[in-house]
Amino acid sequence: MASYIQARFFNRQVDDSCPANRLMISKRRTRNAHVACAQLLPMENTPNSRKLDLNKPMMGTQQVPINVPAIISGKFGRFGGKFVPETLIACLKELEAEFNWALEDPEFQNELQTALRDYIGRETPLYFAERLTNHYKNEDGHGPEIYLKREDLNHCGAHKLNNAIAQAMIAKRMGLKSVVAATGAGQHGVATAAACAKLSLECTVFMGISDMEKQNSNVLLMKLLGAEVKGVEGNFKDASSQAIREWVGNLQTTYYLTGTVVGPHPCPSMVREFQSVIGKETRRQAMEKWGGKPDVLLACVGSGSNALGIFHEFIGDEDVRLIGVEAAGFGLDSGKHAATLARGEVGVYHGAMSYLLQDEEGQIIGPHSIGVGLEYPGVSPELSFLKDTGRAEFYSATDEEAVEAYKRLSRIEGIIPSLEASHALAFLEKLCPTLPSGTKVIVNCSGRGDKDAATVLNYQQYSM
Amino acid sequence: MWQRPDSYGRFGKFGGKYVPETLMHALSELESTFNSLKDDPDFQNELAGILKDYVGRETPLYFSERLTEHYRHPNGEGPHIYLKREDLNHTGAHKINNAIGQVFLAKHLGKKRIIAETGAGQHGVATATVCARFGLQCLTYMGAQDMERQALNVFRMRLLDAEVRAVHSRTATLKDATSEAIRDWVANVETTHYILGSVAGPYPYPMMVREKEAMEKWGGKPDVLVACVGEGSDAMGLFDDFIKDKDVRLIGVEAAGLGLDSGKHAATLTKGEVGVLHGTMSYLLQDDDGQIIEPHSISAGLDYPGVGPEHSFLKEKGRAEYYSVTDEEALEAFKRLSRLEGIIPALETSHALAYLEKLSPTLANGTKVVVNCSGRGDKDVQTAIKYLKV
Repeated sequence: MASYIQARFFNRQVDDSCPANRLMISKRRTRNAHVACAQLLPMENTPNSRKLDLNKPMMGTQQVPINVPAIISGKFGRFGGKFVPETLIACLKELEAEFNWALEDPEFQNELQTALRDYIGRETPLYFAERLTNHYKNEDGHGPEIYLKREDLNHCGAHKLNNAIAQAMIAKRMGLKSVVAATGAGQHGVATAAACAKLSLECTVFMGISDMEKQNSNVLLMKLLGAEVKGVEGNFKDASSQAIREWVGNLQTTYYLTGTVVGPHPCPSMVREFQSVIGKETRRQAMEKWGGKPDVLLACVGSGSNALGIFHEFIGDEDVRLIGVEAAGFGLDSGKHAATLARGEVGVYHGAMSYLLQDEEGQIIGPHSIGVGLEYPGVSPELSFLKDTGRAEFYSATDEEAVEAYKRLSRIEGIIPSLEASHALAFLEKLCPTLPSGTKVIVNCSGRGDKDAATVLNYQQYSM
Repeated sequence: MWQRPDSYGRFGKFGGKYVPETLMHALSELESTFNSLKDDPDFQNELAGILKDYVGRETPLYFSERLTEHYRHPNGEGPHIYLKREDLNHTGAHKINNAIGQVFLAKHLGKKRIIAETGAGQHGVATATVCARFGLQCLTYMGAQDMERQALNVFRMRLLDAEVRAVHSRTATLKDATSEAIRDWVANVETTHYILGSVAGPYPYPMMVREKEAMEKWGGKPDVLVACVGEGSDAMGLFDDFIKDKDVRLIGVEAAGLGLDSGKHAATLTKGEVGVLHGTMSYLLQDDDGQIIEPHSISAGLDYPGVGPEHSFLKEKGRAEYYSVTDEEALEAFKRLSRLEGIIPALETSHALAYLEKLSPTLANGTKVVVNCSGRGDKDVQTAIKYLKV
């Protein structure tokens, strides 16, 4: 039914010759359903998204009130949803049920809390960056106060493990033996490999071949942790598609561990829920440190997991500004960037409706960023919703600005940030002069930058 | 009961201040500043704040379920293995704890220039990190051979705005870098503070390093503490709080390199003799003419021919036990923890973990063993991959 509704939704004729619709119309569940699923997945050279025609009346949309938990509905306004073949609906429903059960289960929660504390090393500090604050003071000595939420201090060096450990625990509860994942920069791959090692699960990570070259150190880490790393032509979006194919081919034994807040419901909500520990800690720490809330939250945006991780807690606090910074690559007009919210259009990709970088024919535009973890042509449906409602603001930073920020934080605070986090830090250059003195700004320092050392070195040599 | 150290900076016959006359004043100044600040609540609060928000302390005490399972006998009995997660510190090792404290001291002494020596690069990175944080000029001496083995750490230091100076003399490793750093300090003592990364140095350094490390209290008492020993700061940090608890076994694990009889190792306490190196009397690897024997270990951080004087003292008194583990055993342990717990330990730490293979079968059921996971192994990935053929 999903495809049928989808076709009507987009005002296209239901084409009986289309294999997808023939399959769906037959209503017969076959034993080889998993094969059918695989056939329906995006293949090369076919439109793998569908453009939404905003001039035609929209049918079947429901405006979900903002206070209905998205965990239940999977919709964020018109964004989100479950645009997947019929036979995956059952798996996703099962996953959703497991997820909801886990959230309510005190034993799961205790085990997760212990892992967050003793394995990952939470809670991560809220660090007052004194020298960075001084750097942004004007001649009168006025300026905002800059704090860093130190997700770089987590085990494995980024926020990714918050989610990976929780989902690996769910996979075990479901009695599954192996996990597949896709990774861009490699951070999610490393986190998944670590979590699987700890929980004694087999692990296969798919990674774009060009990414494997750029982030070779992460590939080695994954292998050391016992994961099998499989190269895929292209980058993260292609690795994702391949990982999904692998999952669909092995539904009885395999768990697809999504690293970020995209994909069909319940994936975005699950990942966001597990990452929201960042925002919850931040609220408590801000209260302890200055007896109040932050004024501005700043985070980089690739697909959106670290941003939502820190934002989500504060969505209801209208007096807290939420700012996401995307990758402008070589510049927004160069055609080589990953600024989905700035330059994208609404469509369906990897099972969810959201903004994405697509051309006139609905073909995905290959993204570019020096921060490999930001190189995704889609974005979280929840962030798309926050953009459309004006609740969050989105800007972007170029490769060059990100590298400058990387070097700046290293030199001034002795913290080497990931190139991804460097995009958020780069935006401080434009943001700080506009802020009243004493504004409390918290930047999500989403990862450490050791993995990017070679990239920055090459970039410096190339640009000289 | 003994005072550690005594007023002459000695631990029994070990320790002391075997340095050129020009450094005596600097060391006295250091000692008196350290003693006055150690009890100053403002200093302690500021230090505690930085350790918490900047370094990320306190580090967890992690129950390693799969490692514990690995060491269980067929009848289901075995010790409980815990890891003290010093790998989670900012910069990835315990070294930063000491660097922070010493930079605070340096600032109080009005010094603007910091020098350091480094083996694996961890102490160099920690020093460069802290200097960047506090806006001080930083110069690190590193053996040329070590610079090659630990290229990532060299780049990190330079990103952090530190100068990394290669030392080519003799074996071009840690001990030569230490000698160069001491020479620099002698020449520039007015403006410069020397951040010694190890507990092996003239008094008051050994005591200062140790004090910074033992910051947290434990919930209950462990039965056995295990730590790797190169120069010994990591082990002293773990042992310090428990030296007076006779029911807590203290075990240090040195590097046996290619084997204790091969002549290519760094097992100072097992095979060394007493002498003076780098300003302190302690065990060291020396030949009959008192020349330093070149140590070897696959891990740069353990590749040191001396050891902290307090370790020498603890060995002599029988308060601590010292064993050793080969390169091969360390690599196996590196792989084992990565595969079983998803934690990639430093090759230095892997020596302590390797000793569990011999230790665990001898322990009573339920014995609580705490291993100091002194650093993360990202820096050792290239080395490990080469040997393990992963």
